[in-house]
Amino acid sequence: MKKLYASIGLLSVALIAYQIVLMYFFSITQWYHFAYMVIAIALLGFGTSGTVLAFSRTWFIDRSSELIPLCMFLSGTTMIIAIPVSQTRFFQFDSQLILFDQEQILPLSLTYLLFFIPFLSGAMAIGLAFIKNPEDIGRLYCANLLGSGTGGGIAVVLLWILFPQHLPAFSALLALVSGFLILPKHKRKELFSIGILSLIVFAVLVRQGGRLPQFTMSQYKEMSKSLLLPDAKIVISKTSPDGLVQVVQSPVMRFAPGLSLNYHSEVPKQIALFNNGDRYGGIIRWSKSDTSHILDYTTFALPYVLQHHNHVLILHAGTGIEVAQAITRGALSVTAVEPHHTIVSLVKNEYREMTDSLFHDQRVSMITVDPRSFLLRDTSTYELILFPMIDAFGGTMGLKAVKEQYGLTKESVTQMWKKVSPDGIISFSSWMDFPIRNPLKVLATLTEVLEEQGIRELTHHIAAVRSWGTITFIAKRSPFTEQDIENIRLFCTAMLFDPAILPAIGIVERTRYNAIQETDFFTLVDGILSDRSTSRLRPDGRRLDSSRSIDPSGVFDRNDIYERYGFDVRPTTDDRPYFSQFLRWKTLPYLRQIYGDRSLPFLEIGYLIVFVTFAQVFFLSLILIILPLFKIGWKSSGKTWTVLFFGMLGLGYMFVEIVLINQFTLYFGHPIYAAAAVISLMLISSGFGSYFSRQWSITNVTLRNITGAIVFMIIVYAFVLMPILIFTISLPFEIKIVLSLLLIAPPAFVMGIPFPLGLRLLSQRHEDQIPWAWGINGCLSVIATVLSLIASVELGFFVTMILSAGFYGTAMISNFIVK
Amino acid sequence: MIQILFSLVFFSLLFIQTDNRIHERHSMVRHQIEGRGLRDSLTLKAMRAVPRHRFVPEAQSRNAYDDSPLPIGYGQTISQPYIVAYMTEIAHLQKNSTVLEIGTGSGYQAAVLAEITDTVYTIEIVKQLGESAVERLTSLGYKNIFVKIGDGYEGWKEHAPFDAIIVTAAADHVPPPLIQQLKEGGRMVIPVGAPFFIQTLMLVEKKEGKITTRSLMPVRFVPFTRSD
Repeated sequence: MKKLYASIGLLSVALIAYQIVLMYFFSITQWYHFAYMVIAIALLGFGTSGTVLAFSRTWFIDRSSELIPLCMFLSGTTMIIAIPVSQTRFFQFDSQLILFDQEQILPLSLTYLLFFIPFLSGAMAIGLAFIKNPEDIGRLYCANLLGSGTGGGIAVVLLWILFPQHLPAFSALLALVSGFLILPKHKRKELFSIGILSLIVFAVLVRQGGRLPQFTMSQYKEMSKSLLLPDAKIVISKTSPDGLVQVVQSPVMRFAPGLSLNYHSEVPKQIALFNNGDRYGGIIRWSKSDTSHILDYTTFALPYVLQHHNHVLILHAGTGIEVAQAITRGALSVTAVEPHHTIVSLVKNEYREMTDSLFHDQRVSMITVDPRSFLLRDTSTYELILFPMIDAFGGTMGLKAVKEQYGLTKESVTQMWKKVSPDGIISFSSWMDFPIRNPLKVLATLTEVLEEQGIRELTHHIAAVRSWGTITFIAKRSPFTEQDIENIRLFCTAMLFDPAILPAIGIVERTRYNAIQETDFFTLVDGILSDRSTSRLRPDGRRLDSSRSIDPSGVFDRNDIYERYGFDVRPTTDDRPYFSQFLRWKTLPYLRQIYGDRSLPFLEIGYLIVFVTFAQVFFLSLILIILPLFKIGWKSSGKTWTVLFFGMLGLGYMFVEIVLINQFTLYFGHPIYAAAAVISLMLISSGFGSYFSRQWSITNVTLRNITGAIVFMIIVYAFVLMPILIFTISLPFEIKIVLSLLLIAPPAFVMGIPFPLGLRLLSQRHEDQIPWAWGINGCLSVIATVLSLIASVELGFFVTMILSAGFYGTAMISNFIVK
Repeated sequence: MIQILFSLVFFSLLFIQTDNRIHERHSMVRHQIEGRGLRDSLTLKAMRAVPRHRFVPEAQSRNAYDDSPLPIGYGQTISQPYIVAYMTEIAHLQKNSTVLEIGTGSGYQAAVLAEITDTVYTIEIVKQLGESAVERLTSLGYKNIFVKIGDGYEGWKEHAPFDAIIVTAAADHVPPPLIQQLKEGGRMVIPVGAPFFIQTLMLVEKKEGKITTRSLMPVRFVPFTRSD
C-alpha cells in the first residue's frame, strides 16, 4: 500500500508540474488567455475520469492493479509527446485568427483533445485508486495533495534551471516512474514491457535534447515580427519563473515611443527584450556624459519641464530608460523598482557597457520587487514619482484585463501622493487608445485621490500634455505657479504637443498641433475633472439613461461618465485591482450598435475569453455530471447530497485559493512566487488535514461541524487577513514566510478534511456514487478557477471570499437535508 | 480555321481567368467604398482596376473582396479595401505626384497608387514579401512602380521630396527622415495601431514649415464611424 501512496504522490507532482509547463508553453506560443482556455479544458480530464469510472465501476475495480500503472504510463508518454505533436501542421492554430477564420477551429479542437489525454489518464489512475480503496481515502488523498503541493514548488524551481521546452521530460519521467512503482505481480512482465516501451519513447525524444522542436510562436506576436527584420537574431535566451526572456538584435530597430515631430536628429538604435514573445522593453546606448535623452522629446519629459528633481522614484523601471533620463536630467538619486529579475540582471551584466553601468551607478538604487509592495514598505520622500507607459502601442485588446495591477489602484496612487515632497510631482503616461479608455481611467484615479486628499481646485494641481499618440498626466502637491503653466506651454510649442489639461484652456489650444476626430475626449476629460458631489451639470434633473453612451454635445460630470460611458473607467482599488478591465455588460448592446458585432470582440478580447472559457467548461461539466446518472439511476437516493456536498467543496476551495494568491502577491511582491507558495502551502496543509481525517468518525454531524468551522474561518479571514498583511508587510522576509505559514496552514488543514471524510461516508451508503463524486468535485474545481476570476473582477476579493464561505455553507446545509 | 478558333477560345479563357472577378470588384467599390462616402473618381477608378485577388495568398483568394484585412503571411496583412481607398483619397494625388509607400506588403496599395500617379516608390523590409511583390507587380504589367527591399525608415533620399508618403505599417514613432522627405504642402498618411487591433489613421501635413497631425478615423473590419 505504501508504494501506492508514493506512486500517487509522484503522479500528482508530475500532473501539476505539467500544468505549469503548459501554461508556459501557451503563454510563449500564443497568449496567456489562450493558455488559460486550453488548460481549463484539459483539466476537465479529472471530471471526465469520474464519469468514465462511474459507468463501469466494478469492471475498473476488478482490473485496477493493471489499469492504474497503465494509466500512469499513458499519462507520462502523452506528456512528452503532446507538445511536439501540437507543433505539427494539423494541430497548429493561431489564436489571433480564431475570431474570423473558421479553419482555426479544427486545430484548436485537436489541441484541446491532445492535452486532455495526459490529464484524463492521470486522473483515471488517481480516481481508480480512490474507488478501489475508499477506506484508505484519507491517506491516498493526502498523497495526492502532498504531491500536487510539492509539484508546484518543484516546477517553479526547475524553471530557473531548464528551458520550458525541456520541462515536459521531467513531468513525464515522474509519471512513468510512478507506474513502475506499482506493477502488479501477476502481470509484471507485460506491464513492464509497456513501461519500457514508454521509456524508449521518452528516451528517444529526450535524447534529441536541444534539437527538440523550438516553440513556434504565433506570427502575430511582437517577437515573431521583430525576427523578420533584416539581420534580426536572438542573441540571448534566459529562462526563469517570470517567463522566457529573449533578446533580439537588428540594425533597424529604433527606440522613440511617441516621438515629437519636431525631432530632427538620429533616433537611437535599440536592442529589444521580449518576455514570452511579448515586448518588455528596449535597451539603448546611454552614457553618463549625455546631456539630453530621447525621452526629452516625448510627453514623458513633462514633469521635468516644471522643475529640477533631485530624488526620483521610478516604478516598473524595466530596462532603465526612464532611469537614464532622470540621471541625464540631473537627479541626485533614483530609486528604480522593477519586479523582473532577469531583465534587471541583463541590464546589470550583459548590457553593462552599453548602458554605461547605469544600474551600478551610485545614484541608482535598484530594487527587484513589485512596485506596490515597495510603496507599502518604503518610508522615503521623493520629488518625482514616475510610472512608465501604461498599455502598449496599438493597444492590447484587453489582454491584460484579468491581470492584477496593484500599482495603479487608488490606494497605490494615494501612497505615491503621500510620498512626494511638498512641491513634488507624480507622473503617468499612456498611449492614446481608441476607444479612449486608459487615459480616462488614469485621470479618474488621479482626481479621486486628490479629492480625497482635500484638493478642491483640481486643474491647479493636475496637468496633461498630448502628442500625436501619447498623453502624460502630472499631479503636483502644491498648486501650479504661473511659471509652471508658462513652462508647459513653451514645452508644447517646442515639441508640437498640445496641452490637454491646464487652467482655463480652450479647444483651440487643445488641438493646435494634433487634431483629433473624437472631440468627445475633451468632454470626457472635463467631465471627470468636474465635482461629482454637485449635480450642477444636470439642472433639469433629467433621468439618466444608462443604455446610451455619452452625447458629445452635452456636458457631464464624473458620475455621469461612470454610469454612461461605454467602458468602465472608474478607478480600481486593491480589492479589485484590474486596471485594464474596461468591459461593461450593460453598455454592450450600445457598443455593438456603434462598432458592429464583428469588431466588438477586438475591443476587449481578454476578458471575453474568460467568459468563453467559462461557457465551454460549464457545458462540458454539465454533461459530465449528468451522464453518470444514466448508470447510477435518476431516482437513486443521496444524489442531492453528493452533488451539493462535493460540488460545493470544489467551488469553495478554489475560491479561497484564488483570493489568497492575490493577497499574498501584494504581500511578497512577486506574483509567481506568491502563487507557488500559496498553492504549495495550501495543498500540503490540506494533505495533512486529509491524513488527520482518518481519526474522525464518519457522520453527517461531523461533516456539518467541519464545514461550519470552515465557513467561520473564511469569514474571519475575509475581514482580518488583508489588514494583517498590510500591517506586517515591512517585516523581514523570513518572518513574513513564517507568518504566511501560520496564516495559510490552519484553514487549509481544516479544508483538507471534508472531501476524504465525505467519500468515506459515501462508501458506506452509496459506494457506486464515489466515482461520480470524484468527477463532480473535479468539474466544479475547474469551473471555480474561471468563476472565481470573474467574481474577483466583477465583485472584488472580499465578496469572492464571502462567496467561498457561501459555498462551504451550502455544503454544510447539505448535511442537514440528508436523511 | 481550327487554329483561329483555338486562339479565340484560348484568349477568352485567359480573359475570364485574369479578370473574371470584375463584378466582385465593382460591387466592392460600390458597397464598401462609395457606400461609405468616398467620392474621389481617381481613387474609385483605381480600386475598380486593380485585381485584388491577385494580391492575396491562394488560400485567401475567395475572400479577396471581403470587407476585411487578410493575412498575407509573415505576420502582415493586406488592408481592408476601404482603408486602401481612404488612404489613397486622403493623400490628394495628382497624375504627376511622386509618392513613396513604406511597407509594400503584397503590393496592392502600390498598384492602386500606380493607377493614379506616374511614379510610385515603395519599400519593403521583409525580403520574402518584397520579392514576391516585385514578381506579382511585374506579372501584372506595372512599370511605374519601383520596389526597394530594405529599411523604409530612412525613406528614399534619391527620389525625395515626395508629394505624398503612405506608411502602411504602423510604428510607435514617425521616422524623422520621412518628415524631412515630405514636400512643402505634402501629406503623409500613417495607421497607428496593430494590424488586427483597432488602428487610427493619422494625417501628417507640412504647411509653411509647420507640421501638424490630424487623427482621421479609427478603423478595423468596418470603419468606426458612428451609425447614428
